[in-house]
Amino acid sequence: MSVASFAAPVELHAALDDESRAWLADLRSRGAAHDDAVGRLHELLLRAARFEVARRRPTLPHLRGNELDDIALEAADDALMSVLARLDDFRGLSRFTTWVYKFGLYEAAAKLRRRAWQGREIPLEPESWGMFETATRGPHEKLEQSELLDAVKDGIETALTPHQREVLVALAVNGVPIDVLAERLDTTRGALYKTLHDARRKLRDELGPRLEVID
Amino acid sequence: MEHPELKQALGRLLGPEGPEIGCDECFEDLDRYVELELAGRNAEAQLPGFKAHLSGCPACREDYESLKAFVGGEQAL
Repeated sequence: MSVASFAAPVELHAALDDESRAWLADLRSRGAAHDDAVGRLHELLLRAARFEVARRRPTLPHLRGNELDDIALEAADDALMSVLARLDDFRGLSRFTTWVYKFGLYEAAAKLRRRAWQGREIPLEPESWGMFETATRGPHEKLEQSELLDAVKDGIETALTPHQREVLVALAVNGVPIDVLAERLDTTRGALYKTLHDARRKLRDELGPRLEVID
Repeated sequence: MEHPELKQALGRLLGPEGPEIGCDECFEDLDRYVELELAGRNAEAQLPGFKAHLSGCPACREDYESLKAFVGGEQAL
């Protein structure tokens, strides 16, 4: 899905490095070599998933160590399926291991974001406009800020479709993670971002010259 | 009106001004973008719109930071 179109960059036909070529050959082989490669691939993915879990651990104090281990293992299992299913999509524009790691990290991050929102209602109305309430130097500036916030609220109410409004408010005002919202609305992250992009463009157009005074 | 906090809040709400790619393209090219950056090359020149997307999509930004930290750490070993 493309939000914006660009002149197509010259596609690189990178020569595969020896390690990446060996990975692909082993994973496409049969028998013991294949099984061994799948096992090594799972180890790589588990390492990436555990890295992501460790990175996010401070934000998930309610999860115990064994729960986090289970999430990492589940992420590695799911990532393994994705990698094996998409092996033909690997274009050799990076090392094979870097391409693989992104699946392990992505699966772990998505699971942890969903876990953090498990059982919580998704706020589709603005919870707070605190992000716009910044310290001002005087009454004139306070008035300008207040007028801008009113224009933002008005623009959201009048210029956007109901769906655009819900998506913009949930993601950009309330800070709901995009994959969490995608799961709840039964859509994809890519489709939601396209909606967010269109809503932002409309709102930016609506606010027009008001934005130029913000330095 | 000079107000960096307000500008930041508007940036979060309105996203990047320029053209940007979407989440699917971001995931597709994330490994290439990170390797170009780690090699000290101009990743944005080869993948235009990538950086703008990272500034507008917190989830993709997190995925990018994770991959860069992880691969950078692996290379340092």
